[in-house]
Amino acid sequence: MKKLYILVAMLLMSITALAQDGRSLYNKYSDYDNVEAVYISPAMFRLIGKIPDVEMEGENVNLGPIIKSLSGLYILSIKQGAVADDLAADVNRFINKGQYELLMEAKDSGEVTRMYTVGDDFVVNSFVMLSHDGDETNFICIDGTIPRDKLENLIADAAKD
Amino acid sequence: MKSIDEISRLSAEDLERISLDESIPVPEELSARVQAAVRAADRQAQRRRWVLPTGIAAAVATLVAVGLTLTRNPEPMDTFDDPYLAYAEVEKVFAKISGTVAYGAEKVSQSEQTLDKLSYWK
Repeated sequence: MKKLYILVAMLLMSITALAQDGRSLYNKYSDYDNVEAVYISPAMFRLIGKIPDVEMEGENVNLGPIIKSLSGLYILSIKQGAVADDLAADVNRFINKGQYELLMEAKDSGEVTRMYTVGDDFVVNSFVMLSHDGDETNFICIDGTIPRDKLENLIADAAKD
Repeated sequence: MKSIDEISRLSAEDLERISLDESIPVPEELSARVQAAVRAADRQAQRRRWVLPTGIAAAVATLVAVGLTLTRNPEPMDTFDDPYLAYAEVEKVFAKISGTVAYGAEKVSQSEQTLDKLSYWK
């Protein structure tokens, strides 16, 4: 009987944790006025993965090694104001509850950018970037089963260019 | 001593006759042991009575929680129909992330250079 209670409690806790993710934030804020929202679904990522040798002009980023490991992308850009403050507070709350680890923080003339990941030494299950400048708050959340080394190499290579 | 099978085959009259036979020695603690066994059996039966309703209640609570979570947090609509446009957006995002990392790396490099200069003048 005790095992059953523990199992149910764990299940409910995991459901609660599941509710605090990029998707719930996207659903909460994407319909507000002055909010730019972009969502790319797991189905679309599967479709992208089937395109042979995707090469796009413009940005110098080779996503080939990781594109198939992505399963969701949520972007919210909100003009500064009460809604943007609420988003930042909600993101910080879900970061603190979700065992995210701060990857990097950059501050420059009032602009603050923080990057977080959750996963283990080999796999990143979620990447979050939150930035505020004077005018806008940007939230990016990438979900997937991304090999950590490939993600780090990709970002480092692109940063060199 | 009789086995349980032999005892179960005895008639009611035989059992009554044996129970009245005072020549058969009765262990002193037998009564207490029987009472304890009856109490334990009662407790177990009582516990079993709660297993099914509690299990059903737990299953219902779990289903309600899952249902609420899924209905309150549905999958959003895809922003792009075209995978090439979606890919371009992903690329833009990674370029932005890389730009921030590059900025951070540049600052670290500048700090290192400053530290090198300071250590040279010491």
